[in-house]
Amino acid sequence: MIKKIIEIYRYREMLRNLVSKELQARYKNSVLGFFWTFLNPLLMLAVYTFVFSTIMRSDIKDFSVFMFIGLLAWNYIAGSVLQGTGCLVSNSSLLKKVYFPREVIPLSIVFANMINYILSMIILLVALLISGIGIHHDILFYPVILLVQTIFLIPLVLILSVVNVYFRDLEHTVNVLINLWFFVTPIVYPISIVPEHLRIFFYLNPATHIVEAYLAIMYYRVAPNLPALFWMFVGSIIFFWIGYLIFDHLQRRVTEEI
Amino acid sequence: MSEIAIETRELYKEFRVYHDRAMSMKERVVNWGRHKYEKFWALKDVNLRLEKGKSLGIIGRNGSGKSTLLKVISGIYYPTKGEVKVNGKLTTLLELGAGFHPDFTGRENIYFNASIFGFTRKEINAKLDEIIAFSELGEFIDNPVRNYSSGMYMRLAFSVAIHIEPEILLLDEVLAVGDSAFQEKCMSKIKSFREKGVTMIFVSHASMQVSKLCDKAVWLKDGMIERYGDAKGVVKAYERWMDTR
Ligand SMILES: Nc1ncnc2c1ncn2[C@@H]1O[C@H](COP(=O)(O)OP(=O)(O)OP(=O)(O)O)[C@@H](O)[C@H]1O
Ligand SMILES: [Mg+2]
Repeated sequence: MIKKIIEIYRYREMLRNLVSKELQARYKNSVLGFFWTFLNPLLMLAVYTFVFSTIMRSDIKDFSVFMFIGLLAWNYIAGSVLQGTGCLVSNSSLLKKVYFPREVIPLSIVFANMINYILSMIILLVALLISGIGIHHDILFYPVILLVQTIFLIPLVLILSVVNVYFRDLEHTVNVLINLWFFVTPIVYPISIVPEHLRIFFYLNPATHIVEAYLAIMYYRVAPNLPALFWMFVGSIIFFWIGYLIFDHLQRRVTEEI
Repeated sequence: MSEIAIETRELYKEFRVYHDRAMSMKERVVNWGRHKYEKFWALKDVNLRLEKGKSLGIIGRNGSGKSTLLKVISGIYYPTKGEVKVNGKLTTLLELGAGFHPDFTGRENIYFNASIFGFTRKEINAKLDEIIAFSELGEFIDNPVRNYSSGMYMRLAFSVAIHIEPEILLLDEVLAVGDSAFQEKCMSKIKSFREKGVTMIFVSHASMQVSKLCDKAVWLKDGMIERYGDAKGVVKAYERWMDTR
């Protein structure tokens, strides 16, 4: 694994190029270009604020901000998973022509989504200030949570992308399951409305811990649940290692199967 | 004895030829255990040894496994059995312009294409002017690649490929591109690689080229080595065999 990391480091320029290609491709041929990065979450926020302040009044204070925090974190997960599952298949011509560590492609998807997420944080910070919630010093935990989230996402995307080469309908399955995953993650509702005896199941969902941690530092203005975050980190590291092994094994016949 | 650059030991490559390809999970699960494919050995017991600075030509009929051998050596394919040892930085050119993006300019594509070969931005910057000059594209370099003629496209791609200063270079019939003047340039570049001591393996249907440019040659027949040795001898034997058919 150390050897692999060194090799990927040697291909860092390729990784960088793939990430910027990914980001540019998303906004190329649009007049507003890269501003879509900001416009998209901004519109989202505007719509939610409107809906929840006039149409569906919610008991939760600043519900649009509450939801926006969870939604941006969720977009990082969903974007990586949805684009990541098909990424090896859609880059088949490149894989067939040149050797490079295959991990570079799924990694570029995760990193592109991470950069998108970080950029959209600017809007979120502005929203926190305007809504009066303000920015608390616990926001300094942000990079830690982001790191844990990323360490969890990388193996997930690695596994999905390589399995999709052998089972092409995984992509459709993922498209369906991701919606289910969204609704079992406390994004459009707070975890507190979940009946106590069911909560344990919600906490088996890694996305719950991630969203909860972001809510803690930005919405509730407290430190995140550190033991939970720590175990999430340990779990992610183990998952990372498993993901690496699975990918390393299954990638051997990837070039000839796509 | 001088250092070995490439060595293959009892190399085998098996492909699965599917008759009725099951691609969905349901089909795979339903047909679990039942083999829906046939095994096809594209390489059988290939043993090669190439010393540093030497060049090796691979000849053989269509489908004899030449490209497969290059891909296994380069790491694109994983060998089914046996092993490949590579000692040095390896560059493979199977097809020119891998990863070119039509919407990006020639210049942007130079960066992307070179990075695929594992080069850093600094290394690319150092070579940029030379690459552009060699491609003879002039001001077209800042136009999107989608507006290039196929010849221009090939020139740019070859120009990138040739400037990456490989230690070991694997070429698969990429020499037959561009007009004759450009081909001449490529040939002289390859000769200069030889003089600089770059180890090379190339696949070619032009046996003349092989006997001129290579020290050694290997003749593949149905995935097996039919003959391996001095380039002139192998080429002669191959041509004689082709004539009798
Ligand atoms: N991905 C693959 N799946 C199944 N069979 C394959 C695959 N790639 C190659 N083959 C088979 O392996 C054999 C060798 O192919 P290869 O491309 O190495 O031939 P070649 O010597 O390069 O031929 P050519 O001179 O036409 O380039 C062929 O019979 C081909 O059908
Ligand atoms: Mg071939």
